[in-house]
Amino acid sequence: MTKKLVSMMLAVMLLAGLTVSFAAAEDYPDLEIWSNNNGYLAVEKGGALYNFYKELTGVGITQPYIEWNGGTTYQEQLNLRIAANEMPDMFIPVNGMETDLIRAGAILDLTDLLPEKAPHLYAAIPEAVWDVVKANDPTGQGRIYYIPGVLTFARSGGIIRQDWLDALNMEMPKTQEEFVEVLRAFRDKDPNGNGQADEIPTGGRAEARWMDYLFSMYGVASWEGYPQWDLYNGELTYSAVTPNMKEALAWIASLYAEGLLDPETLLNDKAAWDGKINSGRVGVYHHWAQASYEYAESIKDATGTEAKLVVIPPISAEGYEGGYTQLQVGSVQFVVTNTRDESKINAVMRVLDCYGNDEMREQFVLGVPGMHCTYDENGKGSRLPVDMQHQENMIFHPDETLASIESTTDSLNMIRSEDTAWAVDQSIENLSHMVEYGRPIAGDGVPNSIYSDYPDIQNRILYAQYASKIITGEYPIDKFDEFVEKWYASGGNAVTERAREWYRKVSE
Amino acid sequence: MKESRSDAAFSAVMTGIMIVFALIALIPLLNILSLSLSSKVAVEMNSVNLLPVGTTLDSWKFIAGNGDIWRSFAITLFSTAAGVVLAVILNALMAYPLSKTYFAPGKIIMMLVVGTMIFKAPIVPYFLTVRGYGLYNNVLVLIVPHILSAYNMAIMRTFFKQFPAEVEEAACIDGCGMFGTLMKIVLPSSKAVLATESLFYGLTIWNQFQHPMMFISKVELYPLQLKIRQLINAGGDLSSMVVRANVNYNETTLGAAAVVFAIIPIIAIYPWVQKYFAKGAMLGSVKG
Amino acid sequence: MKKSGTPGGGLALNVRKYWPLYVMVLPGLVYLIMFRYIPIFGSVIAFQDYSVFLGISGSPFVGLKNFIRLFNSFDFGTIFSNTVILGLIKTVLLFPVPVAMALMINEIRSSWIKKSVQTAVYIPHFLSWVIVGGLVFDILGVGGLFNNIRAAMGLGVMLPMQKESWFRPIFAFSSVWKESGWGTVVYLAALSGMDPSIYESASIDGASRAQRLTRITLPLLVPTILTMFLLNIGGFLDLGFEQVYNLQTPMTYNVSDIFDTYVYRAGILQAQYSYTTAVGLFQSVIGLVLVVTFNKLANKFTEDGGLW
Repeated sequence: MTKKLVSMMLAVMLLAGLTVSFAAAEDYPDLEIWSNNNGYLAVEKGGALYNFYKELTGVGITQPYIEWNGGTTYQEQLNLRIAANEMPDMFIPVNGMETDLIRAGAILDLTDLLPEKAPHLYAAIPEAVWDVVKANDPTGQGRIYYIPGVLTFARSGGIIRQDWLDALNMEMPKTQEEFVEVLRAFRDKDPNGNGQADEIPTGGRAEARWMDYLFSMYGVASWEGYPQWDLYNGELTYSAVTPNMKEALAWIASLYAEGLLDPETLLNDKAAWDGKINSGRVGVYHHWAQASYEYAESIKDATGTEAKLVVIPPISAEGYEGGYTQLQVGSVQFVVTNTRDESKINAVMRVLDCYGNDEMREQFVLGVPGMHCTYDENGKGSRLPVDMQHQENMIFHPDETLASIESTTDSLNMIRSEDTAWAVDQSIENLSHMVEYGRPIAGDGVPNSIYSDYPDIQNRILYAQYASKIITGEYPIDKFDEFVEKWYASGGNAVTERAREWYRKVSE
Repeated sequence: MKESRSDAAFSAVMTGIMIVFALIALIPLLNILSLSLSSKVAVEMNSVNLLPVGTTLDSWKFIAGNGDIWRSFAITLFSTAAGVVLAVILNALMAYPLSKTYFAPGKIIMMLVVGTMIFKAPIVPYFLTVRGYGLYNNVLVLIVPHILSAYNMAIMRTFFKQFPAEVEEAACIDGCGMFGTLMKIVLPSSKAVLATESLFYGLTIWNQFQHPMMFISKVELYPLQLKIRQLINAGGDLSSMVVRANVNYNETTLGAAAVVFAIIPIIAIYPWVQKYFAKGAMLGSVKG
Repeated sequence: MKKSGTPGGGLALNVRKYWPLYVMVLPGLVYLIMFRYIPIFGSVIAFQDYSVFLGISGSPFVGLKNFIRLFNSFDFGTIFSNTVILGLIKTVLLFPVPVAMALMINEIRSSWIKKSVQTAVYIPHFLSWVIVGGLVFDILGVGGLFNNIRAAMGLGVMLPMQKESWFRPIFAFSSVWKESGWGTVVYLAALSGMDPSIYESASIDGASRAQRLTRITLPLLVPTILTMFLLNIGGFLDLGFEQVYNLQTPMTYNVSDIFDTYVYRAGILQAQYSYTTAVGLFQSVIGLVLVVTFNKLANKFTEDGGLW
């Protein structure tokens, strides 16, 4: 017993001594940080990116290569590491896995540390967002356990081929009727001028995803095809089970029946739908305003046409209020592994502070000169083309995860070149409207933990099934009521209760 | 031996049906081969079916031109060869006693064996156990967990059961013992099943990615399939806000090239395996 | 040489007499305990509220909670019956296909055609379900072969992938397409082991090729067929996630949702290790019952035809 005590005291003293010496030399221990990697090289000690981060923040950062695979492989690897007692120092949790870890005491409480040791980040994230984070504390203590993403504008909307409108001498549609007229003209009047009736007026992807702009006309809160929580009849409600959704589905089904939607809408995967857009056959699609340049460039590669892609100002169906759903509270960005090691904590907080420091943003985004970016004689940095075989994985993307119109425009300018200016300028123009087009919702930031034990509600199995069948005409619209009933019976009641409970906490 | 006309017709009909089936079975291969040889634009427009469109070798150059892939290829080749040898030995040693009705604990052991097939270990305890054996970031993890499968062992046992007892007994008269019988009489005459087992185990080891993904974090120890996954990811399009590289491949074309790249060795080795499937290969050697 | 290993004092005698057999079986047994049984005991997490951070020793036991949740889950009935139906298609309806194919291949006389056919039919097995599933979608899509044929017949576009009634046939055909060729390997190996002299004597007796096939070849394959059947029946409810996941669409969930896809959503996407282990155990217990039952039947109707 005494022996143990002595050795423990020795260890503590040693540790304390080390901490002091580190702090004196302003020297931080290295950190292992896990984030998503789509195929870039690992960040290894002594490598280019390691040195870059070390110089920028004072902290050396490493990251092994972990396959992302939509988050599932990453999640499994992370769980195995946790099970083996080898948690990385900081990581992006996925699919709500942070909830259990916080409950088990595995995650560092950041509430007091942030204002003191990472003031830049603390200030960079709006008060309202921190309030949501506190409400999401699964222990119910209202503490801050994670760094949220922030997005201050509506990211996506309906994007139309303005050049097709021009070719047909039509105006940008402002009402639902005008919009349907445009779709009919796209179908019948050969706007791409190739003499074939190969145009697809509009469409989307399987599970009734990526056509949110159609739903938005009826005030249905929806994020890239995932129904969201908003106030309907004064109460926080899942938008999929509202009368608004019923009206929207009835209308979309009529478009499908008329051949204005891609017949394969409910079967398209990403590659199939992108393929149709990129081959210059689609009139309107739903996607990120800032990414329109990528489709424009692909369309040019495939057809030689310089398409003009413009975000449609939101249209409202009669009696409803439209608008593109805006989620200010992004997904969980980082959690920090619980530790008592002061020097580790200082290192993590230092890194987080730098990440939230607007003056360092450009460097974080550009990365290592010669590897990720290049500087011209005026000192203006621009990004090099993607070459994942030779580029290390950049861990911080403050332009995307603490995103404003300004930061996103800056990033677009970093990828703009003489060749791509025509397309990138369209994106910049589109982006500039996304604040006014946005429609904030009450359920912004509702945590995934409300779905715990109801995976099929979270995966919107019933919704995808009924929405798809109603749109294709397999089910009549009356079946919608059956769906609502089943949804509530299969867990929707419990989930709704949790969501409303959360909303009460946030509103306080 | 003369054949009647109806026999010839019967054989012709069977041959015809199988040729049609074989052609249908080749469609997927043709499709991915074409994808691997097509241009990025053609693939993005979904215009590739059974023939390449905008033919290019760029995807192949990307895959085969990566130096690391050949190291991974060697790792996989080595682990497959070693694994097959170990697996066949371990299986034969276990299947032979279990094929004997006079081996008293045979029934209980068979039940235990079948139990491993029906009950599956949850992933986290499995990971911790195997890691506890020191197989983390160890190239042996590509081999050891795969060298005894209940399914394959049970198949081998069935073959041993059908081995004529007289032949074995005759051998034992010469006093060669049970090990000797297995090694000198049974195994040399069971080439067909040995070839089958080699094929099964070899394919499992060659194609594995779940195990290495769990147990290997050092990129320099990556086996082929893992390296290929990494390369496919590396050739993919990112979500947004990047400068697109001016290349003539994408995730799909690279994936296709990688799949073909990885199955060529399997197809190449097949004729060698097939040799042992020739009719009468087994008993012929016993009598000879 | 008949059974001398009767229980009691017999075992010691058996060990003494056949000790080399005991030595032979030992490495495999140790292996199975180390790499299979020890991890399988980790299945206790099915009775826990398991957290990766706390581990098995630190996680609380919750009794049968996870099983009760499974049986009470909203779609349990649908998922169970879908799994049984697809299981029947795979382990019963399609089981004879590789046997028939092996017999047909065996009848091909030209050696190079035979070898080429064999090689060709194996190839789809080497490709993943993502690839084969994607092809099925293409073939049945708007510009695909299926609709081109319909167009040639003057019919309009039809999309089978979004029709419930088409799912099971598509599942069956794609199974045959991808796996039945590979399934012939074992049978062809078994056929190669047969004594040619049996055939010779039969053809002297004037039996036609077709007769020889049903009267001689097929009966000789029975032990192998039986083993394969018993091995497959244990995985009756374990259809594998890949195939169904890559063929289903939300429009066919009613007939295509099975345990494996359900577990994927609950387990992978919510990382509920305890719950998914409970579902797995449930599948295993059913598999065990089936294997034990059919093994008994096999032993009853054929001498020593069972797995034990």
